[in-house]
Amino acid sequence: MHQFEYLLLMAGCLLITLPLELVLGARVYARWRLMLLALLPTVLVFSVWDVVGIIRLHWTYNVDFITGIHLWVMPLEELVFFLVIPICALLTYEAVGTVLQRVRDWKSKGSDA
Amino acid sequence: MPEYTVLTAIAVLGVIAVEVFWLRTGILRTAQYWLAMVLVFFFQVWVDGWLTKLSDPIVIYYPAQFSGIRFPFDIPIEDYGFGFAMVTLTLLVWHRLTRTEAR
Repeated sequence: MHQFEYLLLMAGCLLITLPLELVLGARVYARWRLMLLALLPTVLVFSVWDVVGIIRLHWTYNVDFITGIHLWVMPLEELVFFLVIPICALLTYEAVGTVLQRVRDWKSKGSDA
Repeated sequence: MPEYTVLTAIAVLGVIAVEVFWLRTGILRTAQYWLAMVLVFFFQVWVDGWLTKLSDPIVIYYPAQFSGIRFPFDIPIEDYGFGFAMVTLTLLVWHRLTRTEAR
């Protein structure tokens, strides 16, 4: 079970941010094609950085907590990380936008009365 | 200077340069962006803290390649620059794509 720890942590991140889409109307998953397109530069740039970090011995991964599936030298979990964390950030950004809009609407309604 | 430290500085400046000289979305001047970043950094502390905890690390850092400063828990401070660059690049591209689409 330990070898899924990194993946489970990522699953937890997706789970905890899901209400931002479902309740706060982030509409990130709803625009999944744009979402994937927006993630593309990040996944490319940061995968290259990750590979550089691994080859140059900046960091390594604990074999106890990863599946062992690798994309060349990069653990699969790192690719998942470069997808999941930016998705969480997009959901956060859009949810904050929703909340700020609601505050503005509420304030303008208040000033009309 | 340690290599991870140097690469982090380049990434942060690089992403800012992408905004200033290329995408020009203006989101770095919005409350929406900075409030989102505060939330992202808050959650980063817990997730990154779990990934880097020295008692049972998932990611292991070679001491010679970063500043050696870990805060809070055992998080190398360079990770915040890494996170800033990764998240900001994504938000810049997303903003550019979605706000163009709407027109």
